[in-house]
Amino acid sequence: MVLAATVALGLPLVSVQPNRIMPGEGLTLWSLGGPLALAAVLLLLAALAWLAWRPTRRALTLSLVLVGLCLALLPWALVAVAAEQLEPGMTSARIGLGAGWWALLFVLLLALLELLNRLALAPLLRWGLTLALALSLFAALMSGGLDSLALMREYHGRSAAFHAALRYHLLLVAAVVGVSLLLAATLALAMRRWSGLRRGTFSVLSVLQTIPSLALFGLLLAPLAYLAARFTWLGDLGIRGIGWAPAFIALVAYSLLPMTRNAYVALDEVASEVTDAARGMGMSPGQVFWQVRLPLALPVMLEGIRITAVQAIGLAAVAALIGAGGLGTFIFQGLGQAAMDLVLLGALPIILIALLVDGLFSALAEQLRRAQGRGDAHG
Amino acid sequence: MSGVHRLRTPLAWALLLVTLMLLMPQLEGVFRLIAPDNRTLIYQRDSFASLVVNHLMLVGVASLCAIVVGMGAAILVTRQWGRDFLPLVGQLASIGQTFPPVAVLALAVPVLGFGSTPTIVALVLYGLLPIVRNTLVGIQGINPGVMESARGMGMSGRQILWQVELPLARPVILAGIRTSVTINIATAAIGSTIGARTLGDPIIAGIVNGNTAFILQGALLIALLALCVDSLFERLQLR
Repeated sequence: MVLAATVALGLPLVSVQPNRIMPGEGLTLWSLGGPLALAAVLLLLAALAWLAWRPTRRALTLSLVLVGLCLALLPWALVAVAAEQLEPGMTSARIGLGAGWWALLFVLLLALLELLNRLALAPLLRWGLTLALALSLFAALMSGGLDSLALMREYHGRSAAFHAALRYHLLLVAAVVGVSLLLAATLALAMRRWSGLRRGTFSVLSVLQTIPSLALFGLLLAPLAYLAARFTWLGDLGIRGIGWAPAFIALVAYSLLPMTRNAYVALDEVASEVTDAARGMGMSPGQVFWQVRLPLALPVMLEGIRITAVQAIGLAAVAALIGAGGLGTFIFQGLGQAAMDLVLLGALPIILIALLVDGLFSALAEQLRRAQGRGDAHG
Repeated sequence: MSGVHRLRTPLAWALLLVTLMLLMPQLEGVFRLIAPDNRTLIYQRDSFASLVVNHLMLVGVASLCAIVVGMGAAILVTRQWGRDFLPLVGQLASIGQTFPPVAVLALAVPVLGFGSTPTIVALVLYGLLPIVRNTLVGIQGINPGVMESARGMGMSGRQILWQVELPLARPVILAGIRTSVTINIATAAIGSTIGARTLGDPIIAGIVNGNTAFILQGALLIALLALCVDSLFERLQLR
């Protein structure tokens, strides 16, 4: 157990040693900070490995603090590197993030995850830690010390377009989730009323799911273009073959299966004893639905919303190919120009948003479950 | 039921796929009804057969890697000495699922360049997660009493793995592989945006040139491919 824990924390950390920054000129940690920096990093790793050797709660807390500190300092280290390596006059020089940097980030995040798992901190502390790390990154960005980063150069070159794309992406996803939630709720309720509807609906929805997203986007282009040409008022609404309309329809189509399945299962899973008891207490069918069935079904429905939202965030990026805009635009522009930092500018926010939404909804569902668990215990 | 009889549905889909793949040029008249304004109606830069084979190759290689790595990781962390990694692997698998495939694809390009390699890597990463998750669920879902009696019979760890755990977890693991492969058949089409030759090529050419016939050809073949493989797995699971 002790040995395995050491390996869990020790192995990935040791593999950081080939630490390289800036593959443009291939600057290693050694050439950046000399033996002193290398020694400092090695010492840090040794300290972590030593702490992991005896995984007592105190040692784990201490390593959590260390890892957290490392993560918080990572952007500041970049600030320092940027300040040292680039002379003030070089306005077009830029610093790229090398493989070593990403590896270091990955390993540190892995260690953070493992430590959080082991310590089983309270959610509040977890979110506090995340917030502190985000704040450190934000402060480093605001300080202007990272402006020479290639990623930041791309951002400053098109900050207005970036903000517009970000807003647009979020709006599209929010609209898709909202509309598909409404549709799915209607469908689920209808299926509860008429059970014959169930089989047909689910098989249609799962066939929809097998059509590749790229193809569905493409297939919607022509009919929508035709409709827009035929009925000008549709075109006035912004519904055209190219643009948000096909993306929106395709995303809703994809969202319906997970959303409807979860809504249906959630409503169906509520134990019949509970609803019987509610009815026995003299509740009307409407009251049973709104005050008993729906609240109890909410955690599973939230799960459906989470899956849908995360999926829509990723698929909306593909929609950029059919001119739907959003953050995917930068990815495909960057791929077209072989400008990898532009790709990052599109891909990183998408991943971050997906992770954030995922975490948020998971936490919300967890909180709801816990609240209900407490309610049961008291009631 | 005889073996051929059982494979009827997948064989039917495969037959349809091959027929459509080879006879697509003969269907020009049908596509003229759909896209009357376009001059060329059949995608010609590559033969459909070579695109289908290439698409299958990409998905096959990626799925094979994903199966080996995914099942391997899941089996390792369910052994006695690997148990400490279990929460980490489980959590990584669920976090990885939130990474959008386009983003993974895009991020693989700076490291691996354009073409088939980054596509395969992205497909492996994306296909890993259902396999890891289902293998874990399958092995952990085995009745502890069964494991106890296997140990009581004097079976070695390796024997338990091959003769008890894997056979019992087989349906769940197969379901995971099925999800992974089906998702990857659809996702591989996006590989065309980074220069891999897949059935996404006609779709992208169609989007760029505003040619619905091209899009339809790519989409039809991908859908048939997915249905074919999916029904094959359905049969395997029933056995």
